[in-house]
Amino acid sequence: MPQPLSSKENSLFRQVIRNYEEKQYKRGLKAAEQILKKNPKHGDTLAMKALIINSLGKTDEAFALAKEALTADMKSHICWHVYGLLYRHQKNFEEAIKAYKFALKLEPGSPQIQRDLAYLQAQMRDFQGYIQSRTAMLQSKSQLRQNWTALAVAHHLAGDLVQAEKVLTTYEESLKSPPSHTDYENSEALIALEHLESIAKHNLDRLAVLELRAEYLAKLGKKDAAVKAYRALLDRNSEHPEYYNGLTEAMGLDGGDTSARKAVYDEYAKSNPRCDAAKRLPLDFLTGNDFRDAAKLYLTLMLDKGVPSTFANLKHLYTDPFKKETLESLAHEYVKAKESQSGDESPAEGELKGIPAGLYYLAQHYNYHLSRDLAKALEFVDRGLGLVPGTVEFHMTKARIWKHYGNTRKAAEIMDQARNLDLKDRYINTKAAKYQLRNNETAKALKTMSLFTRNDSPGGPLHDLIDMQSIWYLTEDGEASVRNGLIGLALKRFHAVYNIFDVWQEDQFDFHSFSLRKGQIRAYVDMVRWEDKLREHPFYTRAALGAIAAYLGIHDSKLVVNGVNGSTNGAADDEAEKKKVLKKAKKEAQKAEREAAEQAAKQDPNKAKAATSENVKKDDDPLGLKLASNDQPLVEATKFLLPILQFSPKNIDGQVAGFEVYIRREKYLLALHCLNAALAIDPANPVVHEQTVRFRQEINLKLASLPAKVAEVIKTEFTAIDASTDLKKYNADFLKKHKESAAHVVSAVKIRKLLGEDQKACEKALFDVLSLKTEDWEPAAEAHGLLLQWRSGEAEAFRKAAGETWPEVTAFNPPPAPPASS
Amino acid sequence: MDIRRLEPRDIPLIQHANLENLPENYFMKYYLYHALSWPQLSYVAVDVSRPKKTPYDYPKIVGYVLAKMEEEPTDGVQHGHITSLSVMRTHRRLGIAEKLMRQSQLAMVETFGAQYVSLHVRVSNKAAIHLYTKTLGFDQDKTESSYYADGEDAYSMRLDLSTIREQIRDAADAEGVDEGEPVGEAGSKTLPVREKDLKKVKVGRGLGVQALVEKDESKHS
Repeated sequence: MPQPLSSKENSLFRQVIRNYEEKQYKRGLKAAEQILKKNPKHGDTLAMKALIINSLGKTDEAFALAKEALTADMKSHICWHVYGLLYRHQKNFEEAIKAYKFALKLEPGSPQIQRDLAYLQAQMRDFQGYIQSRTAMLQSKSQLRQNWTALAVAHHLAGDLVQAEKVLTTYEESLKSPPSHTDYENSEALIALEHLESIAKHNLDRLAVLELRAEYLAKLGKKDAAVKAYRALLDRNSEHPEYYNGLTEAMGLDGGDTSARKAVYDEYAKSNPRCDAAKRLPLDFLTGNDFRDAAKLYLTLMLDKGVPSTFANLKHLYTDPFKKETLESLAHEYVKAKESQSGDESPAEGELKGIPAGLYYLAQHYNYHLSRDLAKALEFVDRGLGLVPGTVEFHMTKARIWKHYGNTRKAAEIMDQARNLDLKDRYINTKAAKYQLRNNETAKALKTMSLFTRNDSPGGPLHDLIDMQSIWYLTEDGEASVRNGLIGLALKRFHAVYNIFDVWQEDQFDFHSFSLRKGQIRAYVDMVRWEDKLREHPFYTRAALGAIAAYLGIHDSKLVVNGVNGSTNGAADDEAEKKKVLKKAKKEAQKAEREAAEQAAKQDPNKAKAATSENVKKDDDPLGLKLASNDQPLVEATKFLLPILQFSPKNIDGQVAGFEVYIRREKYLLALHCLNAALAIDPANPVVHEQTVRFRQEINLKLASLPAKVAEVIKTEFTAIDASTDLKKYNADFLKKHKESAAHVVSAVKIRKLLGEDQKACEKALFDVLSLKTEDWEPAAEAHGLLLQWRSGEAEAFRKAAGETWPEVTAFNPPPAPPASS
Repeated sequence: MDIRRLEPRDIPLIQHANLENLPENYFMKYYLYHALSWPQLSYVAVDVSRPKKTPYDYPKIVGYVLAKMEEEPTDGVQHGHITSLSVMRTHRRLGIAEKLMRQSQLAMVETFGAQYVSLHVRVSNKAAIHLYTKTLGFDQDKTESSYYADGEDAYSMRLDLSTIREQIRDAADAEGVDEGEPVGEAGSKTLPVREKDLKKVKVGRGLGVQALVEKDESKHS
């Protein structure tokens, strides 16, 4: 029940609401205080005051006050509405929905509360609730078309297309005259219905109509009409492969007759000389000499024109060995032919036409993993640089070659040279920074990035990168920090990525209402469906895997410190190491801050003002030390893990990480679930082998102490290795089977150690990795890491030997330490 | 290469391409605002030849045009605006930027009855200026001093879209459209009607998409 106020106070109260809406918070507070002076227990006023102080950033106080308001006036819909708004602000959507529902019970006719509730239900995917809310809104204002569309959308989102159509048809029938066909909102609703033929001329989204029409005609077997429809689409856009497929299929050419099929493409290549797809796509289905001829024409054309993406456009053909070899020999022929033509024509600087273009193609060819010969790749790059020394592209490729060698130092150096050749191009700047991060030079990379970021806020370039949601940078910086041993800083970055995904999920909220007003319903539904699996994105998975690994490391090192799994001596070493790392982190952060301040000082003072006045919250944990000292690292790891398991279950790295988290939490069923999923994806994966043996060993120890039901499930579900298997023999058989693969050898050695074999023997076995003569040096790096972890005296000898096997790999041949800086 | 309309799921990699290529960056909501207000106007170029590393890889975006209609045109003339256009350095010289622009311009006329399209470009960006004026036929309207955050001036450019309008009309005539008016013509006469109550801030409506609308001219292409 609203508590009565005098008329003067009533008008004051209306002023409070107005002040709040217009964001005049101070005035609003003052007016509220005036009311409260006389009516200290006036619930609605208390609630509004809570809302205002929440807007001023004092959330805790606001909640306390909102509760006070509710105690004063349990029956006020305003109090409940405000309570919901506060929860909504805190992103506690479940509680917000509950509060809104209370408010609505007290004031069933309130459109505001109804609307706030509806959008939250859409956000929370409570579609049944959303349908209810939308039905109520329609009933109260059925003359608004938007309300009809909204209810149809609600049914559509809930998966009930029939009901959605019914709503729309009911609305259309209720209209006295058909709506004007320039009315966009209506045309969208129609297409949502997919009553295509009848509405085509009323729809303003011509492309969507044409595409659907072509598709339906083809499905209905109306071939001539479908051919015409696809031709109309190709006339609009001849770079969309789907249209060619549709056309040739409708023409009945998708069978074996490749020459007739090619003729269709030729027709478009001829009528549209600037079209790339028509010339390139036939290379996908042509074979033998036909392929060779077409490839020669295409390659010659592109290299003559100097298209830098020629290789990128063809490399997908490399899975076919014949096509790979043909392209290689064609590129060689091209260069030779050009060389024999005229010797005196020197190529223009910065242009990649003719001979340099051919050399550029070959350099990329030998740098590509399916045709890799890094020495040759370097040879062609250097020949190219001899002709056109100032070309960014040759430098870029040279840097990539060094990256593939494992020489991150040289790669970063040369990418930076490339950057210097075109200082105005952010693309090459980005690459230079990325390569510096790969070489663990985080401070240098941030400085490079700052050449293109907005640096005028107190947080400097890093603040801009976080603000602009630069996920790639945050992830790479996090991974570099892991390699530098700065786990807190790494977690800081991974959490930043995690938060960006939260923001992305939250971002859709406003569109539940906005899109209805705009009438762009198809785009809205697409967005909702995409947001539903937002964290499926590899951007999320990569950062999350980084965070999980870091938290596992923290958990494991705690075990070491507590003496569970190592000597006290080791623990002391760890403490010393930790202190060293912390000191280094602090130093780096201070340096970064200093540089950011210097940068800021250099800015135009007029411009700086605008940004500094922004309310930038000060970060109270810039180094992530609090994150790294979390005493429940496995709980945090699980938080990062769950979306991977939910949205990317076929990602083997996610399942492998899941096993590691769950086995440490002694959640054996969940660990087994991950293990079985990983086995289904790749039974030969070396890490999955390790996990299989580890699981069997641990389960054999623990099975008796587990609840009977759990033990039963594990017995039936864990079939990879039998309980009575001799694990040592099992591991030996595995090694025998995979003795040529370095990664498998490393895994087998880890298991030998686990099963109690003498460390010396294991150390010796790791050296076998070096004699495998493989280009892939990463398993050796892992082996080196293991030796360090075991505190083996052989670690340094191993590194030296690996450095001889892979002389270019920076990880085995670190540059001499720079003189200590002040 | 595949040139097609932008879909919401492309946005993270469009944002990524933008961050790699250009100094003018936007948070995701701003891309969503474009994709959900004028889904017909923004296009992407996708590198379809990239082998997938995981089953969850999204199409790799190597070029995009992010476009909009001016919500409240000061001159009262319905027109489009290019918010951002870029193509990865590795995929230049294929005419991608031009092709993206032409798709967007066609849709501006067809769907929203745009009379012209406008854009801003850095005065130092010779390649882009060449594309706009020589290849696409934009006229240099005026220079806006210190338009960009780093103090650089911008050329303000515009392209009259009447040629596209005529082409659409001719095509419709040839097709023998039996009822109604040619789409482009019709679109140009009557503006789509929308509710205009966006300005009122109701209790609890937080900072909505409207905030983006007001901001967007200060976020530069």
